[in-house]
Amino acid sequence: MKAYATKLIDFIETKSEEMARQWAADVRKNPRTPSYHVMTEEKVIPQAIFFYTHFRQMFFTKNPYDTAKGFFARYAEERFRDKIPLQEALYALILMRRHLWLYAEFRTAYETSVDLHQMAEGLNRTILMFDYAMYQITEKYQELIARDVDRKLGAIKTLRMEDPASGNKGVFKAGLMGVMLLAACVLTYYYHATLGVDVIFTHLFYIPIILAAIWWRRAGIIVAVFLGLLILASHALFLRDIPYTSDIIRGVIFVLTAFVVARMAESLKKVEDLFKTLTT
Amino acid sequence: MKAYATKLIDLTENNAEKIARQWAKDVRTNEKTSSYHGADDERILLQATEFYHHFREMFVHDAPYRHAEKYFEHYAEERYREGIPLHEAVYALILMRRHIWLYAEFQAIFITAVEHRQAVESLSRTILMFDYAMYIITRKYRELMKLEWFETPNT
Repeated sequence: MKAYATKLIDFIETKSEEMARQWAADVRKNPRTPSYHVMTEEKVIPQAIFFYTHFRQMFFTKNPYDTAKGFFARYAEERFRDKIPLQEALYALILMRRHLWLYAEFRTAYETSVDLHQMAEGLNRTILMFDYAMYQITEKYQELIARDVDRKLGAIKTLRMEDPASGNKGVFKAGLMGVMLLAACVLTYYYHATLGVDVIFTHLFYIPIILAAIWWRRAGIIVAVFLGLLILASHALFLRDIPYTSDIIRGVIFVLTAFVVARMAESLKKVEDLFKTLTT
Repeated sequence: MKAYATKLIDLTENNAEKIARQWAKDVRTNEKTSSYHGADDERILLQATEFYHHFREMFVHDAPYRHAEKYFEHYAEERYREGIPLHEAVYALILMRRHIWLYAEFQAIFITAVEHRQAVESLSRTILMFDYAMYIITRKYRELMKLEWFETPNT
Protein backbone atom coordinates (compact mmCIF):
# COMPACT_ATOMS: atom_id res chain seq x y z
CA MET A 1 0.00 0.00 0.00
CA LYS A 2 2.88 2.32 0.89
CA ALA A 3 4.23 2.56 -2.70
CA TYR A 4 0.85 3.55 -4.04
CA ALA A 5 0.21 5.91 -1.14
CA THR A 6 3.62 7.58 -1.53
CA LYS A 7 2.93 8.17 -5.20
CA LEU A 8 -0.48 9.56 -4.37
CA ILE A 9 0.84 11.84 -1.64
CA ASP A 10 3.74 13.14 -3.71
CA PHE A 11 1.21 13.90 -6.38
CA ILE A 12 -1.12 15.67 -3.91
CA GLU A 13 1.71 17.78 -2.52
CA THR A 14 2.95 18.96 -5.89
CA LYS A 15 -0.58 19.78 -7.06
CA SER A 16 -1.90 21.20 -3.80
CA GLU A 17 -2.42 24.71 -5.12
CA GLU A 18 -4.20 23.55 -8.26
CA MET A 19 -6.51 21.29 -6.23
CA ALA A 20 -7.12 24.05 -3.70
CA ARG A 21 -8.23 26.37 -6.50
CA GLN A 22 -10.66 23.80 -7.84
CA TRP A 23 -12.00 23.18 -4.35
CA ALA A 24 -12.38 26.92 -3.73
CA ALA A 25 -14.35 27.35 -6.96
CA ASP A 26 -16.66 24.52 -5.85
CA VAL A 27 -17.14 25.62 -2.25
CA ARG A 28 -17.83 29.22 -3.31
CA LYS A 29 -20.88 28.17 -5.30
CA ASN A 30 -21.99 24.91 -3.72
CA PRO A 31 -25.55 25.23 -2.30
CA ARG A 32 -24.49 23.33 0.85
CA THR A 33 -21.76 25.83 1.72
CA PRO A 34 -23.49 29.24 1.39
CA SER A 35 -21.26 30.90 4.03
CA TYR A 36 -18.28 30.48 1.68
CA HIS A 37 -20.06 32.28 -1.19
CA VAL A 38 -19.27 35.69 0.24
CA MET A 39 -15.66 34.88 1.12
CA THR A 40 -12.83 35.97 -1.15
CA GLU A 41 -10.65 33.41 -2.96
CA GLU A 42 -7.64 34.66 -1.00
CA LYS A 43 -9.39 33.75 2.24
CA VAL A 44 -10.67 30.37 1.04
CA ILE A 45 -7.75 28.86 -0.93
CA PRO A 46 -5.19 28.77 1.95
CA GLN A 47 -7.55 26.52 3.94
CA ALA A 48 -7.25 23.78 1.33
CA ILE A 49 -3.55 24.34 0.67
CA PHE A 50 -2.90 23.90 4.39
CA PHE A 51 -4.87 20.67 4.38
CA TYR A 52 -3.26 19.20 1.25
CA THR A 53 0.26 20.08 2.36
CA HIS A 54 -0.30 18.39 5.74
CA PHE A 55 -1.83 15.31 4.20
CA ARG A 56 1.41 13.26 4.27
CA GLN A 57 1.88 13.82 7.97
CA MET A 58 -1.66 12.65 8.76
CA PHE A 59 -1.54 9.75 6.33
CA PHE A 60 1.67 8.11 7.52
CA THR A 61 1.59 8.78 11.21
CA LYS A 62 1.63 5.85 13.63
CA ASN A 63 -1.07 7.49 15.68
CA PRO A 64 -3.49 9.01 13.15
CA TYR A 65 -6.08 9.98 15.78
CA ASP A 66 -3.73 12.16 17.82
CA THR A 67 -2.05 13.68 14.76
CA ALA A 68 -5.43 14.51 13.23
CA LYS A 69 -6.64 15.98 16.52
CA GLY A 70 -4.23 18.92 16.50
CA PHE A 71 -4.83 19.66 12.86
CA PHE A 72 -8.62 19.44 12.91
CA ALA A 73 -8.97 21.30 16.21
CA ARG A 74 -7.24 24.19 14.49
CA TYR A 75 -9.49 23.79 11.44
CA ALA A 76 -12.59 23.86 13.70
CA GLU A 77 -11.38 26.90 15.65
CA GLU A 78 -10.66 28.87 12.50
CA ARG A 79 -13.98 28.00 10.83
CA PHE A 80 -15.84 28.80 14.06
CA ARG A 81 -14.09 32.17 14.16
CA ASP A 82 -15.10 32.72 10.50
CA LYS A 83 -18.72 32.07 11.66
CA ILE A 84 -19.11 29.04 9.40
CA PRO A 85 -21.92 26.76 10.68
CA LEU A 86 -20.72 23.26 11.60
CA GLN A 87 -22.49 21.44 8.77
CA GLU A 88 -20.83 23.75 6.23
CA ALA A 89 -17.38 23.39 7.80
CA LEU A 90 -17.78 19.61 7.58
CA TYR A 91 -19.09 19.69 4.04
CA ALA A 92 -16.23 21.95 2.92
CA LEU A 93 -13.81 19.35 4.29
CA ILE A 94 -15.73 16.57 2.55
CA LEU A 95 -15.33 18.52 -0.69
CA MET A 96 -11.56 18.78 -0.05
CA ARG A 97 -11.42 15.00 0.10
CA ARG A 98 -13.59 14.64 -2.99
CA HIS A 99 -11.40 17.01 -4.98
CA LEU A 100 -8.36 15.10 -3.90
CA TRP A 101 -9.84 11.87 -5.21
CA LEU A 102 -11.29 13.42 -8.35
CA TYR A 103 -7.89 14.84 -9.18
CA ALA A 104 -6.00 11.66 -8.40
CA GLU A 105 -8.45 9.36 -10.18
CA PHE A 106 -8.54 11.56 -13.23
CA ARG A 107 -4.78 11.25 -13.68
CA THR A 108 -4.13 7.66 -12.67
CA ALA A 109 -4.97 4.35 -14.31
CA TYR A 110 -5.68 1.36 -12.09
CA GLU A 111 -5.61 -1.85 -14.00
CA THR A 112 -4.23 -4.81 -12.10
CA SER A 113 -5.76 -6.43 -9.07
CA VAL A 114 -2.78 -5.20 -7.01
CA ASP A 115 -3.34 -1.60 -8.21
CA LEU A 116 -6.98 -1.79 -7.27
CA HIS A 117 -6.25 -3.42 -3.94
CA GLN A 118 -3.74 -0.69 -3.11
CA MET A 119 -6.21 1.93 -4.21
CA ALA A 120 -8.89 0.46 -1.93
CA GLU A 121 -6.36 0.47 0.92
CA GLY A 122 -5.42 4.07 0.23
CA LEU A 123 -9.08 4.98 0.09
CA ASN A 124 -9.69 3.23 3.41
CA ARG A 125 -6.81 5.04 5.07
CA THR A 126 -8.08 8.42 3.83
CA ILE A 127 -11.56 7.57 5.04
CA LEU A 128 -10.25 6.61 8.47
CA MET A 129 -8.58 10.00 8.70
CA PHE A 130 -11.78 11.72 7.68
CA ASP A 131 -13.81 9.72 10.18
CA TYR A 132 -11.56 11.10 12.89
CA ALA A 133 -11.86 14.55 11.37
CA MET A 134 -15.68 14.47 11.47
CA TYR A 135 -15.65 13.39 15.11
CA GLN A 136 -12.96 15.84 16.22
CA ILE A 137 -14.39 18.85 14.38
CA THR A 138 -17.90 18.16 15.70
CA GLU A 139 -16.60 17.75 19.24
CA LYS A 140 -14.49 20.90 19.03
CA TYR A 141 -17.34 22.95 17.57
CA GLN A 142 -19.62 21.86 20.39
CA GLU A 143 -17.01 22.82 22.94
CA LEU A 144 -16.65 26.24 21.28
CA ILE A 145 -20.42 26.70 21.01
CA ALA A 146 -20.91 25.74 24.68
CA ARG A 147 -18.20 28.23 25.68
CA ASP A 148 -19.82 30.92 23.53
CA VAL A 149 -23.29 30.25 24.95
CA ASP A 150 -21.81 30.37 28.45
CA ARG A 151 -20.21 33.73 27.71
CA LYS A 152 -23.41 35.13 26.19
CA LEU A 153 -25.43 34.04 29.20
CA GLY A 154 -22.80 35.41 31.57
CA ALA A 155 -24.81 38.46 32.72
CA ILE A 156 -27.93 36.47 33.48
CA LYS A 157 -25.83 33.88 35.32
CA THR A 158 -24.35 36.59 37.52
CA LEU A 159 -27.84 37.83 38.36
CA ARG A 160 -28.93 34.27 39.10
CA MET A 161 -26.12 33.82 41.63
CA GLU A 162 -25.95 30.08 41.10
CA ASP A 163 -22.23 29.50 41.28
CA PRO A 164 -22.06 26.23 43.21
CA ALA A 165 -18.47 26.90 44.24
CA SER A 166 -19.34 30.00 46.21
CA GLY A 167 -21.27 28.67 49.21
CA ASN A 168 -24.94 28.65 50.07
CA LYS A 169 -26.49 31.23 47.79
CA GLY A 170 -30.05 30.14 48.63
CA VAL A 171 -29.97 31.64 52.15
CA PHE A 172 -28.32 34.80 50.86
CA LYS A 173 -30.98 35.24 48.15
CA ALA A 174 -33.84 34.66 50.62
CA GLY A 175 -32.26 37.14 53.06
CA LEU A 176 -31.75 39.76 50.39
CA MET A 177 -35.33 39.32 49.18
CA GLY A 178 -36.57 39.68 52.76
CA VAL A 179 -34.71 43.00 53.11
CA MET A 180 -36.10 44.26 49.79
CA LEU A 181 -39.67 43.31 50.75
CA LEU A 182 -39.27 45.00 54.11
CA ALA A 183 -38.01 48.14 52.34
CA ALA A 184 -41.06 47.93 50.02
CA CYS A 185 -43.38 47.83 53.07
CA VAL A 186 -41.65 50.85 54.66
CA LEU A 187 -41.73 52.77 51.38
CA THR A 188 -45.41 51.98 50.86
CA TYR A 189 -46.27 53.11 54.38
CA TYR A 190 -44.25 56.31 53.99
CA TYR A 191 -45.83 57.29 50.66
CA HIS A 192 -49.39 56.16 51.42
CA ALA A 193 -49.69 56.98 55.15
CA THR A 194 -47.29 59.91 55.59
CA LEU A 195 -47.36 61.69 52.21
CA GLY A 196 -50.83 60.45 51.14
CA VAL A 197 -49.85 59.87 47.51
CA ASP A 198 -49.68 56.79 45.24
CA VAL A 199 -46.98 58.03 42.84
CA ILE A 200 -43.90 56.53 41.21
CA PHE A 201 -42.24 54.77 44.21
CA THR A 202 -43.82 51.48 43.06
CA HIS A 203 -41.36 51.40 40.10
CA LEU A 204 -38.73 50.31 42.60
CA PHE A 205 -40.79 47.16 43.23
CA TYR A 206 -39.73 45.82 39.85
CA ILE A 207 -36.26 45.12 41.29
CA PRO A 208 -37.42 42.40 43.75
CA ILE A 209 -40.08 41.20 41.28
CA ILE A 210 -37.56 40.60 38.47
CA LEU A 211 -34.89 39.16 40.76
CA ALA A 212 -37.41 36.75 42.34
CA ALA A 213 -38.56 35.56 38.91
CA ILE A 214 -34.95 35.01 37.82
CA TRP A 215 -33.96 33.21 41.03
CA TRP A 216 -37.00 31.05 41.65
CA ARG A 217 -38.74 31.25 38.26
CA ARG A 218 -42.51 30.50 38.60
CA ALA A 219 -42.30 30.24 42.39
CA GLY A 220 -40.91 33.80 42.35
CA ILE A 221 -44.28 35.12 41.10
CA ILE A 222 -45.39 35.00 44.75
CA VAL A 223 -43.25 38.11 45.39
CA ALA A 224 -45.18 40.05 42.71
CA VAL A 225 -48.48 38.85 44.17
CA PHE A 226 -47.34 39.93 47.65
CA LEU A 227 -46.31 43.42 46.46
CA GLY A 228 -49.54 43.80 44.47
CA LEU A 229 -51.59 42.90 47.55
CA LEU A 230 -49.41 45.17 49.69
CA ILE A 231 -50.18 48.32 47.67
CA LEU A 232 -53.88 47.41 47.47
CA ALA A 233 -54.13 46.78 51.24
CA SER A 234 -52.21 49.96 52.01
CA HIS A 235 -54.43 51.85 49.57
CA ALA A 236 -57.50 50.52 51.37
CA LEU A 237 -56.08 51.63 54.72
CA PHE A 238 -54.59 55.03 53.92
CA LEU A 239 -55.89 56.30 50.55
CA ARG A 240 -59.63 55.69 50.76
CA ASP A 241 -60.41 58.93 48.88
CA ILE A 242 -58.28 58.07 45.82
CA PRO A 243 -59.71 55.66 43.20
CA TYR A 244 -58.24 52.11 43.19
CA THR A 245 -57.79 51.96 39.39
CA SER A 246 -54.08 52.89 39.26
CA ASP A 247 -53.05 50.47 42.02
CA ILE A 248 -55.12 47.62 40.57
CA ILE A 249 -53.35 48.14 37.21
CA ARG A 250 -49.98 48.28 38.99
CA GLY A 251 -50.69 45.01 40.80
CA VAL A 252 -51.70 43.27 37.57
CA ILE A 253 -48.58 44.57 35.78
CA PHE A 254 -46.40 43.29 38.67
CA VAL A 255 -47.75 39.77 38.23
CA LEU A 256 -47.56 39.92 34.43
CA THR A 257 -43.95 41.11 34.56
CA ALA A 258 -43.03 38.36 37.00
CA PHE A 259 -44.74 35.77 34.79
CA VAL A 260 -42.90 36.90 31.62
CA VAL A 261 -39.49 37.03 33.35
CA ALA A 262 -40.10 33.63 34.98
CA ARG A 263 -40.95 32.09 31.60
CA MET A 264 -37.82 33.57 30.06
CA ALA A 265 -35.69 32.32 32.95
CA GLU A 266 -37.21 28.86 32.53
CA SER A 267 -36.44 28.85 28.80
CA LEU A 268 -32.86 29.93 29.41
CA LYS A 269 -32.43 27.20 31.99
CA LYS A 270 -33.76 24.66 29.51
CA VAL A 271 -31.34 25.86 26.83
CA GLU A 272 -28.45 25.66 29.30
CA ASP A 273 -29.39 22.15 30.43
CA LEU A 274 -29.77 21.07 26.82
CA PHE A 275 -26.31 22.36 25.97
CA LYS A 276 -24.86 20.65 29.00
CA THR A 277 -26.39 17.33 27.94
CA LEU A 278 -25.64 17.59 24.26
CA THR A 279 -22.15 18.97 24.39
CA THR A 280 -20.54 16.90 27.12
CA MET B 1 -24.27 1.05 -10.42
CA LYS B 2 -26.60 -1.57 -9.05
CA ALA B 3 -24.53 -4.48 -10.42
CA TYR B 4 -21.34 -3.64 -8.54
CA ALA B 5 -23.09 -2.84 -5.34
CA THR B 6 -25.29 -5.93 -5.22
CA LYS B 7 -22.74 -8.04 -3.41
CA LEU B 8 -22.22 -5.59 -0.57
CA ILE B 9 -25.92 -4.76 -0.30
CA ASP B 10 -26.94 -8.42 -0.22
CA LEU B 11 -24.31 -9.16 2.39
CA THR B 12 -25.44 -6.25 4.56
CA GLU B 13 -29.12 -7.04 4.25
CA ASN B 14 -28.77 -10.77 4.84
CA ASN B 15 -26.57 -10.27 7.87
CA ALA B 16 -28.12 -7.10 9.28
CA GLU B 17 -28.67 -8.57 12.76
CA LYS B 18 -25.19 -10.06 12.98
CA ILE B 19 -23.49 -6.84 11.87
CA ALA B 20 -25.75 -4.82 14.16
CA ARG B 21 -24.73 -6.96 17.15
CA GLN B 22 -21.03 -6.42 16.39
CA TRP B 23 -21.67 -2.69 16.08
CA ALA B 24 -23.64 -2.60 19.35
CA LYS B 25 -20.79 -4.35 21.16
CA ASP B 26 -18.36 -1.81 19.77
CA VAL B 27 -20.45 1.28 20.47
CA ARG B 28 -21.13 0.15 24.04
CA THR B 29 -17.41 0.02 24.83
CA ASN B 30 -15.90 2.59 22.47
CA GLU B 31 -14.50 5.59 24.35
CA LYS B 32 -15.82 7.98 21.69
CA THR B 33 -19.42 6.89 22.24
CA SER B 34 -19.68 7.01 26.03
CA SER B 35 -23.41 7.91 26.00
CA TYR B 36 -24.13 4.47 24.58
CA HIS B 37 -22.33 2.59 27.35
CA GLY B 38 -25.25 2.31 29.69
CA ALA B 39 -27.92 2.16 26.99
CA ASP B 40 -30.39 -0.66 26.65
CA ASP B 41 -29.07 -3.34 24.27
CA GLU B 42 -32.30 -3.89 22.35
CA ARG B 43 -32.87 -0.19 21.79
CA ILE B 44 -29.44 0.46 20.34
CA LEU B 45 -29.56 -2.73 18.27
CA LEU B 46 -32.69 -1.40 16.63
CA GLN B 47 -30.82 1.69 15.38
CA ALA B 48 -28.31 -0.40 13.50
CA THR B 49 -30.68 -3.07 12.14
CA GLU B 50 -32.95 -0.31 10.86
CA PHE B 51 -29.98 1.32 9.17
CA TYR B 52 -28.72 -1.92 7.62
CA HIS B 53 -32.19 -2.78 6.35
CA HIS B 54 -32.41 0.69 4.74
CA PHE B 55 -28.99 0.31 3.18
CA ARG B 56 -30.25 -1.08 -0.16
CA GLU B 57 -32.82 1.65 -0.58
CA MET B 58 -30.24 4.38 0.09
CA PHE B 59 -27.76 2.76 -2.26
CA VAL B 60 -30.00 2.31 -5.29
CA HIS B 61 -32.34 5.27 -4.93
CA ASP B 62 -32.58 7.57 -7.98
CA ALA B 63 -32.38 10.64 -5.75
CA PRO B 64 -29.93 9.52 -3.02
CA TYR B 65 -29.71 12.91 -1.32
CA ARG B 66 -33.45 13.32 -0.88
CA HIS B 67 -33.80 9.79 0.41
CA ALA B 68 -30.82 10.19 2.76
CA GLU B 69 -32.23 13.49 3.98
CA LYS B 70 -35.43 11.87 5.17
CA TYR B 71 -33.69 8.94 6.82
CA PHE B 72 -30.86 10.84 8.52
CA GLU B 73 -33.05 13.70 9.73
CA HIS B 74 -35.10 11.07 11.50
CA TYR B 75 -31.88 9.50 12.85
CA ALA B 76 -30.74 12.91 14.16
CA GLU B 77 -34.10 13.64 15.78
CA GLU B 78 -34.12 10.31 17.60
CA ARG B 79 -30.54 10.62 18.86
CA TYR B 80 -31.25 14.20 19.95
CA ARG B 81 -34.31 13.05 21.88
CA GLU B 82 -32.19 10.38 23.56
CA GLY B 83 -29.73 13.11 24.65
CA ILE B 84 -26.82 11.75 22.61
CA PRO B 85 -24.22 14.49 21.96
CA LEU B 86 -23.76 15.28 18.27
CA HIS B 87 -20.16 14.04 18.01
CA GLU B 88 -21.21 10.69 19.47
CA ALA B 89 -24.22 10.37 17.16
CA VAL B 90 -21.87 11.05 14.24
CA TYR B 91 -19.28 8.56 15.45
CA ALA B 92 -21.88 5.85 16.08
CA LEU B 93 -22.93 6.19 12.46
CA ILE B 94 -19.32 6.04 11.28
CA LEU B 95 -18.98 2.80 13.23
CA MET B 96 -22.09 1.43 11.50
CA ARG B 97 -20.37 1.98 8.17
CA ARG B 98 -17.09 0.50 9.41
CA HIS B 99 -18.81 -2.64 10.61
CA ILE B 100 -20.25 -3.27 7.14
CA TRP B 101 -16.71 -3.22 5.76
CA LEU B 102 -15.24 -5.24 8.59
CA TYR B 103 -17.86 -7.89 7.97
CA ALA B 104 -17.35 -7.80 4.20
CA GLU B 105 -13.57 -8.08 4.64
CA PHE B 106 -14.00 -10.92 7.09
CA GLN B 107 -16.19 -12.77 4.60
CA ALA B 108 -13.55 -12.06 1.88
CA ILE B 109 -16.12 -11.23 -0.76
CA PHE B 110 -13.76 -9.07 -2.84
CA ILE B 111 -10.92 -11.19 -4.21
CA THR B 112 -10.52 -10.95 -7.99
CA ALA B 113 -9.63 -7.77 -9.96
CA VAL B 114 -13.28 -7.31 -10.94
CA GLU B 115 -14.31 -7.73 -7.33
CA HIS B 116 -11.69 -5.22 -6.21
CA ARG B 117 -13.08 -2.74 -8.72
CA GLN B 118 -16.52 -3.46 -7.25
CA ALA B 119 -15.14 -2.94 -3.76
CA VAL B 120 -13.67 0.46 -4.68
CA GLU B 121 -16.90 1.54 -6.33
CA SER B 122 -19.08 0.29 -3.47
CA LEU B 123 -16.79 2.10 -1.06
CA SER B 124 -17.10 5.34 -3.03
CA ARG B 125 -20.87 5.05 -3.14
CA THR B 126 -21.09 4.30 0.58
CA ILE B 127 -18.85 7.26 1.34
CA LEU B 128 -21.02 9.54 -0.79
CA MET B 129 -24.03 8.46 1.24
CA PHE B 130 -22.17 9.10 4.49
CA ASP B 131 -21.02 12.51 3.30
CA TYR B 132 -24.68 13.40 2.94
CA ALA B 133 -25.39 11.84 6.33
CA MET B 134 -22.79 13.98 8.13
CA TYR B 135 -24.14 17.14 6.54
CA ILE B 136 -27.80 16.32 7.23
CA ILE B 137 -27.27 15.18 10.83
CA THR B 138 -25.18 18.20 11.85
CA ARG B 139 -27.65 20.55 10.15
CA LYS B 140 -30.58 18.92 11.94
CA TYR B 141 -28.88 19.00 15.34
CA ARG B 142 -28.12 22.69 14.84
CA GLU B 143 -31.77 23.29 14.08
CA LEU B 144 -32.90 21.27 17.10
CA MET B 145 -30.40 22.90 19.46
CA LYS B 146 -31.59 26.29 18.19
CA LEU B 147 -27.98 27.34 17.67
CA GLU B 148 -29.13 30.19 15.46
CA TRP B 149 -30.25 31.94 18.67
CA PHE B 150 -26.63 32.32 19.64
CA GLU B 151 -25.09 33.00 16.26
CA THR B 152 -24.57 36.28 14.48
CA PRO B 153 -27.08 36.90 11.65
CA ASN B 154 -24.80 36.12 8.70
CA THR B 155 -24.62 32.45 9.65
